[in-house]
Amino acid sequence: MSGAGLGLNLVPARPLISAPVDVVFRLAPGDRPLVAAGDSVVVGAPIAQRLRDPRLDELSIPAAATPRPGRRWVAPSDARDGRAAGGEFVFGWRGRWRVASGDIADPLEVPFAGIVRDVRPGTAITVRAAGRGIRGIVVLGGPTRGRLQATPDGELRAGSLDIGSAGTILVVGSRVDAETLTRARAMGVRGVIVTGLSSKERRDYLASEARQRSALHRLPPFAVLVLEGAVRRPLAGGVLTVLTSLVGHEVAIVADPPMLVFDVPNLQVPAPPADLVRVRGGSLAGREGRFVEAIGPRRFAGGVHLEAGLVRFPDGSVAAVPLGDLERFV
Amino acid sequence: MTTEPRAFLTQDAGAATIAAALIGRVAGRWRLVGSLALPAGADPDAAATVLLDRARAADPDLATSLGLDGAQPSDLPRVDVATRPARRLAVIAGSERALEPLVAAASRSGWRPVSACPETTDPLAMSTMLLDASVDGILAGAGDPPAADERRALGELGALLAAAAGRRPELTVVLAGGMGEQLAAFGDASGRPSPVVVAPAGAGAGDASVGLRQVLLDLALATDDSRRALGSAALSLAEILDRRVDVVEIGFDGGTRVGAWPAVGNGSSGVDLAVVPAAGLAPSDPDDAVVDRVATWSSGAGDRHRLRDRLRELRIAPWADVAGEGIELRLAAARSALGCLADWTPDWFDRPAADLVVASGGVWSVAAGPSVVLALVDVLRRSGASQYALDHARLLAPLGAIADQAERRAVMTDLADDLLAPLGSVITPAGLRPGRSVGALHLHGQAGTRDLELRPGGLSVVDLPAGAAATAELLFHDTVRFGGRGRRFAVDVTGGLGGLLVDLRDVPLRLPDRADLRAELLETWQAAVWAPSEP
Repeated sequence: MSGAGLGLNLVPARPLISAPVDVVFRLAPGDRPLVAAGDSVVVGAPIAQRLRDPRLDELSIPAAATPRPGRRWVAPSDARDGRAAGGEFVFGWRGRWRVASGDIADPLEVPFAGIVRDVRPGTAITVRAAGRGIRGIVVLGGPTRGRLQATPDGELRAGSLDIGSAGTILVVGSRVDAETLTRARAMGVRGVIVTGLSSKERRDYLASEARQRSALHRLPPFAVLVLEGAVRRPLAGGVLTVLTSLVGHEVAIVADPPMLVFDVPNLQVPAPPADLVRVRGGSLAGREGRFVEAIGPRRFAGGVHLEAGLVRFPDGSVAAVPLGDLERFV
Repeated sequence: MTTEPRAFLTQDAGAATIAAALIGRVAGRWRLVGSLALPAGADPDAAATVLLDRARAADPDLATSLGLDGAQPSDLPRVDVATRPARRLAVIAGSERALEPLVAAASRSGWRPVSACPETTDPLAMSTMLLDASVDGILAGAGDPPAADERRALGELGALLAAAAGRRPELTVVLAGGMGEQLAAFGDASGRPSPVVVAPAGAGAGDASVGLRQVLLDLALATDDSRRALGSAALSLAEILDRRVDVVEIGFDGGTRVGAWPAVGNGSSGVDLAVVPAAGLAPSDPDDAVVDRVATWSSGAGDRHRLRDRLRELRIAPWADVAGEGIELRLAAARSALGCLADWTPDWFDRPAADLVVASGGVWSVAAGPSVVLALVDVLRRSGASQYALDHARLLAPLGAIADQAERRAVMTDLADDLLAPLGSVITPAGLRPGRSVGALHLHGQAGTRDLELRPGGLSVVDLPAGAAATAELLFHDTVRFGGRGRRFAVDVTGGLGGLLVDLRDVPLRLPDRADLRAELLETWQAAVWAPSEP
C-alpha cells in the first residue's frame, strides 16, 4: 500500500489531548504531606506543607517514639526548646536522630481535583487528575489555576496588561518577553500559555522569579507553560481549537509533567482530520496542510537526503517536506 | 516455507531516529537489501513495511527469492535494539578527593551523575539529593582501604545512605571499595526490589576503576541497549578484520566510544566500552559551557541567545530542521559532544591510533562523508594513520545484539562490505615544526605515484576512490611523531568518499580565540574537504 494511508504513519505523531494525567509534586525532607494514597482531593486542597528554609536538628529521641526515617516527629509540648516543634526523621547516628524541620512552611495546594496515587515523604506526592491535559515542553513556576482567557490577536505586551486579567491564565500566541511575564505576575495573572519562549526571556524571567521567591511576602502562584520550544511559531491549529473551546473555564498549569490540565467532561474536542499535518521546522514552519503521500528520499538544501512527503496547503500549493519537519496530532 | 530464514529485519530505535534495515540471504551470503531512517515519533512497523515494499518494487525477483512476496514485517525475524535516556546516579564519598574518581567512573559508564560529599555538602542537602525522585541509583565509594580523610566520615555517611536507601527500595545501590564495610547498615538487603551491589574501588594504582566501571555499565545498560551491543559488534569486527577498531557514536542522549582489538600473539582479543551521557548531541539544558563549546565549532553561530534557542529546539525535535543550516548546527554540536567524549576518556589518547574508526549514530547519517571525517579528526586527534568508515545503515548495534557469538561473527563476516561505507583514510603526523615545508608524501598506487609537499598547519585531500588501495610514503625533514618517532614512514591507505586526508594541523588542534578568525579557519577546512552544492 502506498499513499497517505501508510505514508502518514511515517510522520511523527503527537497526542493532542493526554489522559489520564498523573501529576507529581516534589517534596524535600522535612516537607509534611497532608494526604495519604487513595484520598480524594478537591481544587485548592492543601496536600503538603513545604518548608521554606529547612534545617537538620540533632536530637535525642526516646525509643518509645519509634523513630524511623521518613516518619514524622512531633515534640511533646513540654519538651520544646524553642527551635523545633517537630519534623521528619532523616537518619539516626550514634544514638541521636537527625530531624529535618523548619520555622516557616508554605501550603502546597493542588490546582485540580483528583485522587492521590502515591505519597512518599521527602520525595513526592503523585495525584491523578480528574480531567485531561495538553502537554507542553516546560513549565516555569507553578502549580497554578485560573480562568482561561485568550489575548486579542494572540499578542501580549506589558503595556496592554491591566488588573482585569487578575486570576486568569492567558493564552498568548507565538512569543512573549520577560518584562510582560513579570508584569503579568505582578498584576495577579495566574499563568501564561505561550508557543515559544526564547532562552533570553526565559533566563530573565527565571532571575526575576528567583528574586520574588526569596521575598517574605509572596505573590500568588504563577506559571508559564511553553507549548512548543524556543523560537517564534504560531499555535498549532488543533491546540488552538481546544484552547478556544476552553476559554472561560477554570484550568490548571502543572510542572511535572509540563501540562495544562482541564476538567470539562462535556467538552467535545473535534478530532483533527487524519491527514492534517503541521510543518514544525524549515522554511515552511508553522503552516498546516493535508498529507498527500510519502515520496521517499529527496535532496534538500545543504545537499542532505531525507525521507520526504508531499503536503498540499490550503492555498493549493504542494510542497515536498522532510518527514522530520512534519508532525500530526492524534 | 523453509525453517532457515532467508531475510530478517533490524531496528535501532534511538531517541531521535529509528533506523531499520532489511537483510537478505543472496547467493549464499547475508547482504544488506535496504535501509531506512525515520523520525523517532513515526510508527516503527510502518518503517519495516516501507522497506519491504521498496524491496519488492526495486527487484521483484530478489524479493521472491527472499520469500518477501506478501510478507508482513511480523512474518520476518527481527533483531531490535534501543537507546534509552541515561539514568541519574547520586554519587557520594567521604571526601572530595575520593569523590572525583567515582564521578569520572560513573560519567563514562552510562550514568548521569550528581555528586556530594560531607566536606562540601551538609547531611540535609545530601539526603535531599538521595531522595530526589529523579535519582535512579546511588554509588557510595571509598578507597580500599579508606584513607584517613575518608574514614571519619564513613560511619555517618553509611547511616545516611542506609536511611535513604530504606525509604527508596527501588534504588540500586553500589558500595565501592571501603564503603562495602557499611553493608551491614542495610540489614537484610535480599528483600529489596533493587540490589545492593559491592564493587571494587574507583581509585587506585593504574587503571583501577575498570572493575567499578564494568559494574556500573552492567547496571546502566539494558540487555537490548544499542550501546552495549556496539561493544559486542566492535569486538566481532576487530576479530573479523584482524585490526584495531574504534567505534565513535554520538547520539541524542549521549556518546559512546568503543575500542576493540584482535588477538595478537598470546594476548586475547578485547574491548573497552565507554558510554558518556554528557556527550549527547542535544543536552537537556544547554548552559553557557555547552553553548560556548558549540559556538567554538560553529562558523555562523550568531549571538549566544540565538544559538541556545537553536540547541533547545534541537533537543525538543532533533529530527526537524535538518536541511540547510541544520547540518552545520548538528556538526558543531557533534564536535562539542566529541570534545566531551574525549574529556571523559583521556586514557584513549595514550593508545595507538586505531586501524579503523567507525562513526555511528543518526547525526552522521545526514552529513556528507568527508564532513564526518573532518569532524572526527578535528576533535579526536591522535598521531598516526587510520581508515574511517560510516555505519550508514545503523546496523552495527543490531548485529552486536545477536547473542550467539559464532552466529554474530558469521553474519558480520558476510555483511562486512555492506555495513560500513568507506569514508577514506587520514594521515596525521604530530610534532611538526613551523615552516614552509616539512617534507613530502609519495602516494604509490595502481595509477602510478603522486607527490604532495607537506605544509604544516594545512589540510590536503588526495583523491583516492572507495575500494582503491595505495601506499603512502612520508619523508620528513625533521623527526616527527607518527605512531612512533621518526622521519621516514610508509603506511597502507585505502580510499573512500573523502579520499586520503593529509592532516598537518596541530595535535591537539589550536583554534583562534577571535570568533571571526575562527569561523574563517573552520570554513577553510570545511571547503578543503567538501563544499555542498545547492540542489
